[in-house]
Amino acid sequence: MENRKKILVIVPAYNEEGSAGKVVEEVHADLPQAEVLVVNDGSTDLTSEIAQSKGAVVLDLPFNLGIGGAMQAGYKFAYEKGYDIAIQVDADGQHDPKEIQKLLHALEVEKVDVAIGSRFIGGSGYKGSIMRRIGIAIFSGVISTIARQRITDPTSGFRASNRKAIQLFALDYPQDYPEPEVVILLHQCHLKMGEVPVGMSERYSGESSITKIRSIYYMVKVLLAIFVDCFKKPPLLEQEG
Amino acid sequence: MLFKIQIIVGVLSMLLLLTTFELIRKKRLREEYAILWLFTGIVVLVLSLWPEFFLSQFFAKISGIFYLSAVVLISFFFLLLIVFHFSVVISKLTGQNKDLAQRYALLEMEFKELRRRCLPPDRTPL
Repeated sequence: MENRKKILVIVPAYNEEGSAGKVVEEVHADLPQAEVLVVNDGSTDLTSEIAQSKGAVVLDLPFNLGIGGAMQAGYKFAYEKGYDIAIQVDADGQHDPKEIQKLLHALEVEKVDVAIGSRFIGGSGYKGSIMRRIGIAIFSGVISTIARQRITDPTSGFRASNRKAIQLFALDYPQDYPEPEVVILLHQCHLKMGEVPVGMSERYSGESSITKIRSIYYMVKVLLAIFVDCFKKPPLLEQEG
Repeated sequence: MLFKIQIIVGVLSMLLLLTTFELIRKKRLREEYAILWLFTGIVVLVLSLWPEFFLSQFFAKISGIFYLSAVVLISFFFLLLIVFHFSVVISKLTGQNKDLAQRYALLEMEFKELRRRCLPPDRTPL
């Protein structure tokens, strides 16, 4: 399927030498028609070299920009190189590349602009810490209300976007807490999104960027960012020929 | 007592004005930031030259504060303006910095690709 479409898998990585190589290999194996772009967000370890040796295209940022800046760099690349579909996959290995087909299927069949992989529909049996689950439930409630659409897993970074969404993200991408904020951005720009049930595995290595102690602080900040986003002027998308 | 405070405040504001001028002259401070600092210096200088106004029945009545408190309060207000202005400028710079870093990375990648194609593999790049 989708033979003529140019597909890019964007893997943002910051000091992920332990798992980035494996993720690149898996994506190549499961989705041979796709190009893999590893965005090295100023890593101080061998992330860039390892990804390169596994056959990924590596975009080295000169210093650490954070997840938002790194993702947007990937989308700018996808936009300028004329990719039709961009899929973001975490470098820590929690997203299974075998599930990418489900995201692509949603883009093609359900005609959504962005397909979001969700841990919480279809009984995938996600077991996170209780704090995290409460936090995600609150985000989900707030974001679903604002977006007027049920979004069960707004913090999921496992997503596929079509050309229209790539164009939007190249132009404007939230910097601080991109996953939940992107949902609001898509709603403001009238792009369609849909959720797809996916399984997520344990992380291969590294710590989640959200530790237990900081989770409440994180939640308050994200809710504040979402609140502010509601008053931001959405960017104007130009029609592509 | 009042005279002493007048001198101190006056000297401080003059120092502020002179430093600002000097930094502009040496191009170490951009004019857009300097304007607020100059304005702050001038207002504080005026306060030190005409304390009578701030001691007058009129001002005391409408503000209910003493001279020194007035100086501190008004300086503080301008400092707030300056700090706020800085936040706005830093936000803008952060965005531009991010865009530059992304552009740099994309161009560097393109450049390496071009060089790899143009140069035979055994030749070291110039």
